[in-house]
Amino acid sequence: MSEVECLIVDIAQARLDASAALEFVSDPGFGGITMFVGRVRDLNHGRSVLGVSYDMFDPLALKVFERACAEAAALVGPRIRTYVAHAKGRLAVGDLAVVVAAGTPHRDEAFRACRTLIEVVKHQAPIWKQEHYVDGDSVWSEGCSLCAAPDPGHTHSHEH
Amino acid sequence: MKISISLYGAFRECDPRGSVELDVPEPAKVSDLRAAFEAHGLAHWPAFKPGLLAASVFASESTLLRENEALPANGRVAVLPPVSGG
Repeated sequence: MSEVECLIVDIAQARLDASAALEFVSDPGFGGITMFVGRVRDLNHGRSVLGVSYDMFDPLALKVFERACAEAAALVGPRIRTYVAHAKGRLAVGDLAVVVAAGTPHRDEAFRACRTLIEVVKHQAPIWKQEHYVDGDSVWSEGCSLCAAPDPGHTHSHEH
Repeated sequence: MKISISLYGAFRECDPRGSVELDVPEPAKVSDLRAAFEAHGLAHWPAFKPGLLAASVFASESTLLRENEALPANGRVAVLPPVSGG
């Protein structure tokens, strides 16, 4: 019953569309819809930002988006519609970088699902951000290390 | 075997073509490729940072690869530095 839409949007071709996300996750039986929209900020660590470039390993990124949706459904149950879209290419301040949305019967599941979607996208999707500063410098963000699934028989727990 | 490695994020600074091809002796594991990649980086790329490689994982188009895993038969992998989407 869970319905999913996952997209990578090349900013040279199109823009992210928050209204499309809302429309996709809507259902007559769903009274709760949540959406997170990430936009490019004009300031990072005290430095004025002109724009951001997103680099992406597309095939694996889409798989991670789909996994995020599956995790949201596993968390709240099968009555859910989820949407994940992330931009790639050069974005200007104010442009939409990411849109995730969840529709469920009630608000609590919708909030929890939306949080799951954005956290998985931020921490697990193979996407890299390079910030371009007003002073002409460009810097790749440090980010979160990915972690392959442990070997069979590998039993210690990780702290992250 | 010849392995084509796609470069992403800060690794793109190392080679503007966005990929590098390395020869690793068979049977090759991911850890062998990691060693070969580091040696290539130190020898050829002034911008190469071993610390970035240490924080990175290798992946196929469908999954992250463990260090003791065999390299994909199609010879195509990507090296993924720490991620920063969203």
